[in-house]
Amino acid sequence: MSSDVRFTDFKSDKQPTWCPGCGDFGTMNGMMKALAETGNDPDNTFVVAGIGCSGKIGTYMHSYALHGVHGRALPVGTGVKLARPDIEVMVAGGDGDGYSIGAGHFVHAVRRNVDMTYCVMDNRIYGLTKGQASPTSRSDFETSTTPEGTKQPPVNPLALALASGASFIAQSFASDALRHQEIVQEAIEHDGFGFVNVFSPCVTFNDVDTYDYFRDSLVDLDEEGHDPTDYEAAKEVILDGEKEYQGVMYKDENSVPYNEKHGVTEDMSEIPEGAPDDAMDLVREFY
Amino acid sequence: MAEDLNWAIGGEAGDGIDSTGKIFAQALSRAGRHVFTSKDFASRIRGGYTAYKIRTSVDQVQSVVDRLDILVALTQRTIDENLDELHEGSAIIYDGERSWEAEIPDEMTAVDVPLKSLAEEAGGAIMRNIVALGAACEITGFDVEYLDESLEKRFGGKGSKIVENNKEAARKGQEYVQENYDVDHLGYNLETTDNDYVLLNGNEAIGMGAIAAGCRFYAGYPITPATSIMEYLTGRIEDYGGHVVQAEDELSAINMALGGARAGARSMTATSGAGVDLMTETFGLVATSETPLVIADVQRSGPSTGMPTKQEQGDLNMALYGGHGEVPRFVVAPTSIDECFWKTIEAFNLAEKYQTPVFLVSDLAMSVTEQTFPPEAFDMDEVEIDRGKLVDDDDEVDEWLDEQGRFRAHAVTDDGVSPRAIPGTTDGAHMSTGLEHDELGRRTEDEDERVQQVDKRNRKVETAKEQEGWEYREFGNEDADNLVITWGSNEGALAEALDYLEEDGVDVRVISVPYIFPRPDLTDEIEAAEETIVVECNATGQFADLLEHDALTRLKRINKYTGVRFKADELAEQITQKLSEEVPAQ
Ligand SMILES: Cc1ncc(C[n+]2csc(CCOP(=O)(O)OP(=O)(O)O)c2C)c(N)n1
Ligand code: SF4
Ligand SMILES: [Mg+2]
Repeated sequence: MSSDVRFTDFKSDKQPTWCPGCGDFGTMNGMMKALAETGNDPDNTFVVAGIGCSGKIGTYMHSYALHGVHGRALPVGTGVKLARPDIEVMVAGGDGDGYSIGAGHFVHAVRRNVDMTYCVMDNRIYGLTKGQASPTSRSDFETSTTPEGTKQPPVNPLALALASGASFIAQSFASDALRHQEIVQEAIEHDGFGFVNVFSPCVTFNDVDTYDYFRDSLVDLDEEGHDPTDYEAAKEVILDGEKEYQGVMYKDENSVPYNEKHGVTEDMSEIPEGAPDDAMDLVREFY
Repeated sequence: MAEDLNWAIGGEAGDGIDSTGKIFAQALSRAGRHVFTSKDFASRIRGGYTAYKIRTSVDQVQSVVDRLDILVALTQRTIDENLDELHEGSAIIYDGERSWEAEIPDEMTAVDVPLKSLAEEAGGAIMRNIVALGAACEITGFDVEYLDESLEKRFGGKGSKIVENNKEAARKGQEYVQENYDVDHLGYNLETTDNDYVLLNGNEAIGMGAIAAGCRFYAGYPITPATSIMEYLTGRIEDYGGHVVQAEDELSAINMALGGARAGARSMTATSGAGVDLMTETFGLVATSETPLVIADVQRSGPSTGMPTKQEQGDLNMALYGGHGEVPRFVVAPTSIDECFWKTIEAFNLAEKYQTPVFLVSDLAMSVTEQTFPPEAFDMDEVEIDRGKLVDDDDEVDEWLDEQGRFRAHAVTDDGVSPRAIPGTTDGAHMSTGLEHDELGRRTEDEDERVQQVDKRNRKVETAKEQEGWEYREFGNEDADNLVITWGSNEGALAEALDYLEEDGVDVRVISVPYIFPRPDLTDEIEAAEETIVVECNATGQFADLLEHDALTRLKRINKYTGVRFKADELAEQITQKLSEEVPAQ
């Protein structure tokens, strides 16, 4: 790891094809800055991207990366981190990717508490497929597939994480660049699964959850004197149906990541040129 | 063929049938006898019945036969279920003090032993099965001291008192028979030898092969009959710096294993057909991102939930063709338990050399069968590791950078194989994706680049066809007019069927194929034969279809899809009958 890494080292030379003004630009910039700021470089970083407009982040960033199957980014990240605890793992994807098709994995990745970071680029819409309802869409939000709204309450991802036993829960806003970067940085530095729901507005298909909406409504937990290590206080802000917050809601200071709990600390890529020295013991077990 | 003995214990699920059977199998193995075991789970009548069967001989045994000599019956149903395998000389050990009235055909020898009472005398009713083992020793003229060794192995961890009680229980069974029955007239007298054997099943062999091959990361979701691979690795792979993770489903399991593989670890997942269905979602990604991954499919009877504890070889087409689009893959199907070990190692080498997913196709029969082998059959010094084009030092990486210093992870090469850099390698950072991509791994829809990448991936198969052996095994008479071809776990039964066929004067050549794709070209062999029969455990003849396609001819087929594996004697009969039938129309 070199100390002179700049965040632009994490930029690939591929020009993003996101719509001008898309929240994903800011989301990605903050992630790159946070990675550089925490002492990582592209050769020791693995980015796993989901499928969606958000998933294109794997192409626009420069690092080891996998752009996988819709909804399965978290299991891939889990595999990378267990096999290579020395590698920084950053998983990113959309709200549909993470809370709909991949919801099952989200619950279990949270429980497992593998030491990696998960940024959900939440635009409350399916962007790539051109504007259908997502699990975080408002119940009355009209889309091509839900002309009268979903008539279902949106998923509260923060509460889902809390109920699944999360050790780090945060929310940020792509256009509040400094705070977004700080929050992602804290997630990276957290010992365990650092989950950040990033409001990343879709300027093309979502005309209600807009930059203006978030700018006007978001309450910053730092300014409220919120103590993220206080579970009860975390519960209150997460379950608050009235206001939306940015900041770190919850952080378990005693979090022990999966790798440590299970003693998974070795670089598994290195193996002997033949069978392990004492492998004949395995055969003798069958006497 | 040396004389063999067929022994079984049967009762209700929960009667400790499996562990008792295993103790006896181990004792026989300790005595230098070969053993081949099989398990009956479900039933022809109703659920709950379970049996553990052992065939033993001083020669290698690799199949079950339709014959039962000694049966320990804990229930009447155990007797009823096995009536067609029992014969005049059979002995049935049962407990006459139990509430059921044993109905035993007159011509058989009924050995009534108060199993429960004797066990209680030895220290507890729970040892009644061990009393039965002692009785079986007496009937078969088998030295009960071998049983002691096996009991020590099984119960050693529970303290010497338990071990001693069990030994006592066995003695009580043995002495009871000695005092009350004249069993010498049955004529069983089990020889012993000085040979050392190990006793293991196919899933254990796969697990052991994985560790030997350097597999360090395993992700799986429990499913019969694959789970025991995961259970074998758990608690062992850690000693070698590895880890097993239980995923939330197979969608996750294969993606975790994919992550482990991209991170540079030799990685694996194992499942059965229903799990392969889910894993198919990610299969194309593994192949097109050129990730080395071993996926074991321990087949069971389908479709859907099918007969989950029954044998079938019905997943061949899925392994070959599963998933949308066209992606290369290797399909390897070990034909015996020792080959489960070697083919697993080979699967890891193939995966890394060609950066391609490898299906390791086994089946339920092989997964539950325990068989003896000399330990040299798993000689770890013979294990070779080939990691292919893994580039891990800076100079090597430099060779594969483009003018702008970007790593060409999907470089188009003559042999189709690209260099592989794993995270942490300086200047090797690159993206891989399920989207069609250029040499750098970046999305493309350029026609030329698309064609180049498709051709390159397919070229890996051509390279592998040239560079690897793809050898098959042969049995019987090489010059025989009649050819029998099989794949997977049927090999043992077929090899033994040859003995029966020889007795009947039927001459055949047997070819057993462990590679489904790529596979050896058997056109010449098929053309040279007057008649060719393909033997497999499925209804439609999936392998026969492939061979017909290869050789452009029609072949005879023997298919079994009852849920039970082939038996040597049954197979011999069917082959004889097939040979007398008309050849199917061209
Ligand atoms: C298995 C599968 N089903 C459906 C799709 C089509 N699809 C692509 S992205 C997407 C949803 C994207 O929404 P989200 O995850 O919120 O990402 P966004 O585009 O909004 O960033 C869908 C349904 C797919 N690629 N794969
Ligand atoms: S459709 Fe929406 S989410 Fe997708 S790039 Fe455009 S603005 Fe961004
Ligand atoms: Mg979205």
